Amino acid sequence: MKDATTYFYRPVVLFFGTVSVILTVYVVWLTLHNISLLRPGQESFIGFDNYVRLLFDGRAINALGRTVLFTVAATVIEVSLGLAISLLVDREFLGKRIVRGILLVPIVMTPVVVGLTWRFLLDPSNGMMNYLLSTIGLGPVDWLGNPNVALFSLLMADIWQWTPFVVLLTMASLESLPGDPQNAARVDGAREWQVLWYITLPALKRALMVVALIRAIDAVKAFDIFYIMTRGGPALSTETLNLYGYISAFTNFDISYSLTIAMVLTILTNVALLLLYNLAFKAPKQGEA
Amino acid sequence: MRRIIFWIALAVLLLCVLFPLYWVVATSLKTQRDAFAMPPVWLFAPTWENYVKVLNNGVFIRAFFNSVVISFSASLISVGVGALVAYGLVAQDEATKRQNEKFILSLRIAPPLIFIIPTYFLAAQMKLLNNHWIVIGVYAFVNIPFAISLLITFFEDIPRELRDAAKVDGAREFTIFREIFLPVAFGGIVATFILCVLFTWNEFFIALVLTGRDTQTLPVSITSFLTFQGVQWGPLTAAATLVMLPMLVLGMLVQGKVVRGMSLGSIKG
Repeated sequence: MKDATTYFYRPVVLFFGTVSVILTVYVVWLTLHNISLLRPGQESFIGFDNYVRLLFDGRAINALGRTVLFTVAATVIEVSLGLAISLLVDREFLGKRIVRGILLVPIVMTPVVVGLTWRFLLDPSNGMMNYLLSTIGLGPVDWLGNPNVALFSLLMADIWQWTPFVVLLTMASLESLPGDPQNAARVDGAREWQVLWYITLPALKRALMVVALIRAIDAVKAFDIFYIMTRGGPALSTETLNLYGYISAFTNFDISYSLTIAMVLTILTNVALLLLYNLAFKAPKQGEA
Repeated sequence: MRRIIFWIALAVLLLCVLFPLYWVVATSLKTQRDAFAMPPVWLFAPTWENYVKVLNNGVFIRAFFNSVVISFSASLISVGVGALVAYGLVAQDEATKRQNEKFILSLRIAPPLIFIIPTYFLAAQMKLLNNHWIVIGVYAFVNIPFAISLLITFFEDIPRELRDAAKVDGAREFTIFREIFLPVAFGGIVATFILCVLFTWNEFFIALVLTGRDTQTLPVSITSFLTFQGVQWGPLTAAATLVMLPMLVLGMLVQGKVVRGMSLGSIKG
């Protein structure tokens, strides 16, 4: 007799598999046409023209560059800052539970509200940020209006929301580490920085890689704070590929081209992910050897 | 000396985390004049006028209702389906389980843009853009893989002997699922449900594309305060507080599980 438990998951897995295959085929098919909601009923097969167009679209190439810049900067800063903070709080002290609770606040906050909050704080005339700068004698900065600064203002909001996430995950892995190797090294006369560099960090490597992976995936797809704080402006200076795809579809109604962007973004993300994934899961083996 | 540095660093950290939140909530309780005073007013007489304005705004109330309906229905479906699938997978051997789990998680790598445009396109042709069910369906579709992988971790904690003993007694699979797994893993199931609600409530992109006038959720509705005439910060901060407050409460309820769940939600493979 066949095991009845397979009926619990097979249909759903099959359903998801079928939907993904159909969706993928459908998307590829759509990208090979020139479907635009502005010209209903006039679509025709155009082969790989959309992909060629993307290759020579300066706006898309710049957007891709910004996506890479934002993703790398956000991931590197959040992971290093998060690691530093988690090492700071990795000790027993009164109110540790409360600190943990407070660190959770940005994580569960609605991203749209986070965007609004930072837009409010960074308001050029009434914002808190410029007021604080003025108290130490620095001139007002047009945080979201200056094309050279806007992307970094968005980065700041992202760092505020997601560094605590890195901290909480890293804290959990720090606590699960056995303390013996560290203590043994201390008994042998190792300095604190040596313990940290040669014992704690290598043990954390895998966990940090996973956190970095998570943050990178989310940063590529970042949309909410961009939409709320700058909507890609000023002068397209904060337009990432994801945002450009959205604008192509829902401002220009260029469905096929937008899907081409989404397709390329997905492929690039997967390739990058695969590289990082191999890096993350081969590293421990080398470390152990 | 080291202790003092530690406490100072901790205080700076907490200040950085909490200040933006405090400032939004404080502004929502200020009068128009206090809110825009420069230098900022630290001590002020709180007023509820912004909240009164927001709560008298029919569109906002409607959006609140939509958010509740959509996030609860979608999460209920996700957890219901997720629990069945997770039960089935936990009973399989290690290789089958890993393989299926990997496939399920891999579904979530793609940026939402790639499946939302075809969905939008189809929904537009079927005139479903102003329909609650299309939004609920898409959210359930997005959250089911997450619910499955989180529920597997809770179901794995249930001792195998419990299942085997019930089987010896001749119980059917569905009975074991209902009578043993659901009650024993109840805490985990509730936590999964809460996390699904949290994700759905906070989600913006899908809602922006797929909701119409009657189905708008809170994150979409709140952007209507960003008008061309400028931003009405008073009512906006009040609305923002009302949107995030329930999630802060829910987040605290499932504190330990949020990070575990979120890392699962994102790792995707």
